Amino acid sequence: MASTLGRRSSFFAKAATIPFLILIVGFGGYSWAQVVVMAFSHLRIESGNFVWTPAGLDNFRDILTNEVALYSLAVTTIFVVATVALSVVFGLVMALLVQRSQRLNRISQVVLLWPAIVAPVVVSLIWLLILSPNIGVLNKLLDTVMLPTQDWLGTEVGAIVAIIIVDVWHWTPVAFLMLYTALCAVDEEAVEAARCDGANEWQVIRYIKIPMLMPAILGTIFIRAVMGVKAFDEMYLLTAGGPNSATTLVSLHIRDVFFDQLNYGYGSAFSVLIVALMSLIIGVALVVQRLRRNRPFSAARKVQP
Amino acid sequence: MIVGSHAITTETLAGAKLRRRKSLVDVSCDAVLALLLLVFVAPIAWMIVLSFQSDRAIISMFWELDLTLANIAGILAEDQPFRAQLVNSIAIVAGTVALCGTASTLAAYGLSKLKLPWWLNASVGASCAVVPLLPPMALVPGFYVTLIQTGLLGSLTGLIILNTILNLPFATVLMKIGFDEVPPALQEAASIEGAGEARTCWTIMLPLVAPSLITSSLFTAIMTWNEFLMGLTMTSGGTTSPLSVGIASLVQPYEVRWGQLAAVGSLAVVPIMVASVLASKRIIAGMTRGAVK
Repeated sequence: MASTLGRRSSFFAKAATIPFLILIVGFGGYSWAQVVVMAFSHLRIESGNFVWTPAGLDNFRDILTNEVALYSLAVTTIFVVATVALSVVFGLVMALLVQRSQRLNRISQVVLLWPAIVAPVVVSLIWLLILSPNIGVLNKLLDTVMLPTQDWLGTEVGAIVAIIIVDVWHWTPVAFLMLYTALCAVDEEAVEAARCDGANEWQVIRYIKIPMLMPAILGTIFIRAVMGVKAFDEMYLLTAGGPNSATTLVSLHIRDVFFDQLNYGYGSAFSVLIVALMSLIIGVALVVQRLRRNRPFSAARKVQP
Repeated sequence: MIVGSHAITTETLAGAKLRRRKSLVDVSCDAVLALLLLVFVAPIAWMIVLSFQSDRAIISMFWELDLTLANIAGILAEDQPFRAQLVNSIAIVAGTVALCGTASTLAAYGLSKLKLPWWLNASVGASCAVVPLLPPMALVPGFYVTLIQTGLLGSLTGLIILNTILNLPFATVLMKIGFDEVPPALQEAASIEGAGEARTCWTIMLPLVAPSLITSSLFTAIMTWNEFLMGLTMTSGGTTSPLSVGIASLVQPYEVRWGQLAAVGSLAVVPIMVASVLASKRIIAGMTRGAVK
């Protein structure tokens, strides 16, 4: 490495990053700039061409008066909190179970990969085959054991619960894989030492394994939260945002406004708002993390001599 | 003597009791785990079962078994858009894997092994950190306008570019981890032998990072095959769209062909499931490695 450090960067070194930069900064950055410009404009299509007129903050003012937009922010928050909590808890329980199981260890890792790699659109299809009021197997099962059947996707609360269950089913395997990998890296000696001191299984999990997994758990929560905001495919087929817009997540609202209502400026403004809110939340999370680390008597400090 | 032997017997008795209790805990833990595994597999299995069921048996109020291959035959028929969509999906996956693999390998090599000016380092690094956090839906309006301006709307090239943008940051991170593991001594040796930087990259480095390249390509391929949003918004449907969009278009307000729907879903999913069994270690490594970064 010393020889490369001494030299100035070569032509090849700069050229190597060009394809990446053309695609991400060029194509992607240009597209994002369009979104921002559109957010501050009124757009109409006249004879196949976009006609732009500056709009100032009109589009953002529209968001504040649009009930569906505000509702979609609320329901997305509920959706993200619920799916993150459930998938991390289930993922953690499964990681602990898989680690201690000798018989099911190998097969679990293969089988649990499947929901995560099935196409999201097929996931919604799979659950449509289960929850559909006409042919759904869930109602068939309930009917067979003489329990009352439900129109799962037809009621507002039922539909919200349904998309949460589907998302948890779909992405718990990812949480499991990340936590299981971290669990396998936990120092066995600490666990053995605790057992020698007479700790039972629950105490080992509560006071040794979970504290040591904390960084991985926080990382998983972060990644799952980002995935939750991105969610679109599963709901598009399963509920299409309905009934009565009950499951209109932010992604579904943007698509609806942009492609069905052809309200380009408003759709872009909502996109900008979502990205701004996400940046704000991530920024606050980073600052909080840094402050906690710098606190003089925090647990993290005490461990270090 | 007698006291001693008595102590030993009670101890072994207690030990056996403890062992029996432990094995009971093990068995019940396994039972819970098996139940959870069933929850994750049963829905997929049910779709595969339905793809061999006749529509009459699916709609029936009772539990019927009426096995048929008509669903799969119907999907593969000449007049269905399914074949064209399958070809589209394969073309998009191939194009994206090639473009993304090239761009990510070059960028990762630059980041990991070459000296870059700080602003290049910063812009590539920042892109890798920020782009995966953006909801793709927020980018759709911009992509839509850009594709109209470049005349790529509705084309496979356009979808290849968009899929590459979505996957490139993650692939670059994976490749950089791969390059970081190659000892720098090899690079120095090559340059002492008189190999240029491009040649070192091609003949020395590329074979060494082949496992990382396979992992990231596999990942890109799965993500692109599953991609739905861009295919939905950037094509006009029918024979121009990828397979994932074709599946969604079979769900219509009136008269859904449930059997065919299940058959298409199974055809889209089973190849990936089989591949995942063969390459599970790689896919898991890809998922967990990139996340840790």
